[in-house]
Amino acid sequence: MSDATQAASGATATLRRAFHYRDLEKAGATFKTVTDASVAWSYGDGQKAETAAASTLGIADLSPLPRTGYKGRDIAKWLTKQKLKVGDASNQAYPCGKGSLAAKLAPGEVVILGAIDGSDPLPEKLDAAWTDKNGLCFAVPRRDASFWFMITGTRTSDMFAKICGVDLRPKSFANHAIAQTSVARSNAIIIRDDLGKVPAFHILSDSASASYMWMCLLDAMQEFGGRPVGLQTVLSLCK
Amino acid sequence: MKILNCPLNGPRNISEFICAGEVEVEPDPNRCSNAEWAEYIFLHDNDAGVVQEWWCHVPTAYWFIVERNNLTDEILRTFPSTEIFTKRQEYSRPDQEAS
Repeated sequence: MSDATQAASGATATLRRAFHYRDLEKAGATFKTVTDASVAWSYGDGQKAETAAASTLGIADLSPLPRTGYKGRDIAKWLTKQKLKVGDASNQAYPCGKGSLAAKLAPGEVVILGAIDGSDPLPEKLDAAWTDKNGLCFAVPRRDASFWFMITGTRTSDMFAKICGVDLRPKSFANHAIAQTSVARSNAIIIRDDLGKVPAFHILSDSASASYMWMCLLDAMQEFGGRPVGLQTVLSLCK
Repeated sequence: MKILNCPLNGPRNISEFICAGEVEVEPDPNRCSNAEWAEYIFLHDNDAGVVQEWWCHVPTAYWFIVERNNLTDEILRTFPSTEIFTKRQEYSRPDQEAS
């Protein structure tokens, strides 16, 4: 666990919290402060049970954690100026910084997901460096605009097959591939980012739909025994 | 399920797309007649056969062009709009145009 993670627990007014934190509270989440955010850390029935669930099918809320995005014809120039190497291929994610991920959505659009343990200051650094004097390069406030969930486990693609038309089976959808498509009738970005040997997918979509999508995903996961898992469990799978 | 091949995202369910009508080249608003401008804005060719149309992949808001036979509803080709529109459309008032 990084130094950025502090021992404080419980959401306070000064911390960022999930868009649908009431749903998380109802599900029994306990919260922990990571950087400037209160994140669902665990669900109170033991690390062992959560780890087992996360290996089969789990959903974690990462919405309060740092991320950012940029749009426009000149983003490549600006990212190079920031010494960030992002490949040319669209719909592909590129590891960068210290555990962050640059998701290239199109030649003129990128989303930067901060390290899930909150230890990489890259998103904040980029946002602090951004000005409107970089040609056609506009900041997109992804931390406010999009929720961020992570779906983990071997049954993930089975679950997605019920609510998404894209084939996300590991043999068809490589690690770090991106699909921008419709999930449960909402527009979403899906990024495969395995945790060690466990298949895992980030899903980002409109923050106003966070509660709706959380319910849809839990409903779709039910038949495979899926359940919410905390950030603590997700981080344990990285090791 | 009908599938459309998006030039950016690959094959996707047709329900992820919207069609925005035929591709037309915009006349220069500073030089064309009112009749030409009105035709561009209000009138459509409505050809039967192979046509080029604007389509948008809604989840990514990506606009591209589809070549489609609207008699058989067969999609012949999809391609980025940059194949036809090679530069950004700029607008200026007639009195501010560079001479």
